[in-house]
Amino acid sequence: MGFASLNPSYGDAAMSCQTALGSLVLAAVLIVTAPHARAADESKYPDWSGQWRRVADGGVPRYDPSKPLRKQEAPLTPEYQALHEASIKDQDAGGHGLDEAYKCMPQGMPRQMSGVFPFEFVIGLKVTYVLFEYMVQQARRIYTDGRDFPKDEDPTFAGYSIGKWIDADGDGRYDVLEIETRNLKGPRTWDQSGMPMHADNETLIKERIYLDKADKDLLHDEMTTFDHSLTRPWSVMKNYRHIQKIMWTENNCVEGNQHVTIGKENYLLSADGLLMPTRKGQAPPDLRYFNQAKK
Amino acid sequence: MRRHLAALLACGALLSLSGAGLAHHSFAMFDQENPVELAGTVQEFKFTSPHTFILLQVKDQDGSATVWNLEGNAPSNLVRDGWSSKTLKPGDEVELTVQPLRSGAPGGQWSANKVKFKGGQPIVVSH
Repeated sequence: MGFASLNPSYGDAAMSCQTALGSLVLAAVLIVTAPHARAADESKYPDWSGQWRRVADGGVPRYDPSKPLRKQEAPLTPEYQALHEASIKDQDAGGHGLDEAYKCMPQGMPRQMSGVFPFEFVIGLKVTYVLFEYMVQQARRIYTDGRDFPKDEDPTFAGYSIGKWIDADGDGRYDVLEIETRNLKGPRTWDQSGMPMHADNETLIKERIYLDKADKDLLHDEMTTFDHSLTRPWSVMKNYRHIQKIMWTENNCVEGNQHVTIGKENYLLSADGLLMPTRKGQAPPDLRYFNQAKK
Repeated sequence: MRRHLAALLACGALLSLSGAGLAHHSFAMFDQENPVELAGTVQEFKFTSPHTFILLQVKDQDGSATVWNLEGNAPSNLVRDGWSSKTLKPGDEVELTVQPLRSGAPGGQWSANKVKFKGGQPIVVSH
């Protein structure tokens, strides 16, 4: 919106006045029409507002909800199958295996979509956010502005997501969000059993998220993950229920965390704040730097 | 009658959301196969994330007392089943079935559906 010079001649002043008036008229038109334009755009998007939680099935959160934890029948390579078995054995002995969630490491993708705690969507014209109640599940930004993946950006646990809205049923309104996520950081595991994802972190995740046609309170996430820990891509269907009685709570990971890791050993704090072993015969931590007499 | 029903509903709701603990980490570190029955007095109920803790003073056979540190479900889940930081208070006498630490140290896992007041009175929560 341009404004005329401060020292015009009469003729210039008249022109400046016209320009200023024209600008004011344009501004007025934009003020009136912009909200309607935004409303028109917003009506093209589905209503995913509110709170979502994974559909309760009596089990713990896991990558494939159709199968129990530890029996996911994941198409792991022999190397990663062996790592998974070692993780389970360690957990059964009192350790945490390869799962690092107990020490508040970000769960990352795809695990954070397993829905251990509620989340919500915020749909914008150029980016859709997935916001999680739990602090170690970082916000996802799904860019729908047509951009390409960055060439040189540091990886993150949640990865970099690019999405595309699809009008699958041709009714003039978007109903599917197709997403591709790359640029991930590790270590990440598929679930709390410590089933590991590949150390090269070259994971690629494809998703199609949409409401159930028959039940608007049921959201589906068709997910396929490509990872070198696998012999083939692993496709699953995740389902989330729209929560009617919405409640958001403080959900950080550090305030009351009583798990302590020293080196490769994990301990639990006692009621009086001292270290307790978690395994049979577990040695106390190495105290070599305490009370060292000078030689 | 209504309170009992509320408590039962609370237990049912929690069961529908959890297996061996609806946790952000595995509870396999606790011995799920050999649970232990404990009866004692609540010293403190830590209703903090990521997991709640009950500090339970248990009298040993020789008359001394051991305080157990018991890890439970997240407040985020419990509060949706009607629990709050005031559901258990210091001095409450409770009976629990816990999954103990495999090391034998006084720690373990507690579950909302396996705790009641002394004498069998259920924990009443509101919705």
